[in-house]
Amino acid sequence: MTTATDIIGNVFFLAGILFVFVGMVGLLRLPDVYNRLHATTKIATLGTFGVMLSIAIKAGFSTMGLKAITVGIFLLLTAPVVAHMVARAAHRSGTKMWTGSVIDEYAEDNKREKESQI
Amino acid sequence: MRQYIVYALALGIVWCFVSGEASILNFMVGSVLGILIIWSLKKLYQPDENVPYKNIIARIPKLATFFAILMIEITKASILVAKIVLWPKLEIKPGIVAIPLRATKDVSITAIANTISLTPGTLTIDVSDDLAKIYVHSIDASDPEALKVSIRDKLEKYVLEAFE
Amino acid sequence: MNLLDVALVIMSISLIPCLYRIIVGPTLPDRVVGLDALTLVMVVALGVYSYMQESPFFLDAALVLSIISFIGTIAIARYIDEGAIF
Repeated sequence: MTTATDIIGNVFFLAGILFVFVGMVGLLRLPDVYNRLHATTKIATLGTFGVMLSIAIKAGFSTMGLKAITVGIFLLLTAPVVAHMVARAAHRSGTKMWTGSVIDEYAEDNKREKESQI
Repeated sequence: MRQYIVYALALGIVWCFVSGEASILNFMVGSVLGILIIWSLKKLYQPDENVPYKNIIARIPKLATFFAILMIEITKASILVAKIVLWPKLEIKPGIVAIPLRATKDVSITAIANTISLTPGTLTIDVSDDLAKIYVHSIDASDPEALKVSIRDKLEKYVLEAFE
Repeated sequence: MNLLDVALVIMSISLIPCLYRIIVGPTLPDRVVGLDALTLVMVVALGVYSYMQESPFFLDAALVLSIISFIGTIAIARYIDEGAIF
């Protein structure tokens, strides 16, 4: 029984650490703000949730397990809000998208709206 | 009034998790603290008394399927983006696509936006003023029509079933 | 050297890209993203360290750190967007 929970916990733990590391590599490699947000606020958040879940599985129904699952759920709930706020602020303050971007319907719609107001 | 009690019980559960001790006594302490907090911050809520609680309870299985599908999608797509990040040559075509929405309630639009943000590869940037369109930054926007279809059929269907 | 030590080493290595992005990052939003990622890595490291020491108090620190990171990022984002926080 204990070995099974240990194995499951270790699998979640390793996957979580790996995902956080890959997210940070993405932060270094990807070309502009929006793509970096993809790497950090989602892959890394999923990794954090995995690590906290593994701690909760290993520690069981104790103080540590409950607190770990709280931290994980809090991060999972707030990550999309942070990503949305930063992306919108970056776009509205005029941060350029990467030159390889193929389409930007948000800028087109904003421009059309501004023209219709005049 | 009934709504305040429901909120206070929810805050009691949160208090159990934060203080790290799941017992009946601790839950009651948390509920009393929750009633005090809700009473002192009453002005921040717009209490609409006509919330159908039976409806919410009947919806629990659909919410459960929604969250299960959400976790599977998140894991699958995380592996996809991890592959993109670790690939030696960077082959991405990012772009912002406007996606038409069918949902009308605020709750379901929030749920769709957060779901889209949590699935790697897509990121909500803004909602248009008339709540008819949602702007999504995608890491692979080479085919905008396919992206629209995949979001409408995969995610929005379950959100509509669970929240409306 | 067991699994937890390896995890702490990997987390320490993961701090380097965040610091690079905070110092070099060409625009202000880049630096905000870097700071957010930094706190995320530190939360993971605190969780792992808490499990190593078998004391739940580091997880309190992790929870407070994540709340401060969330509020701070929202505040900076609103500042970039509208020029005022409130």
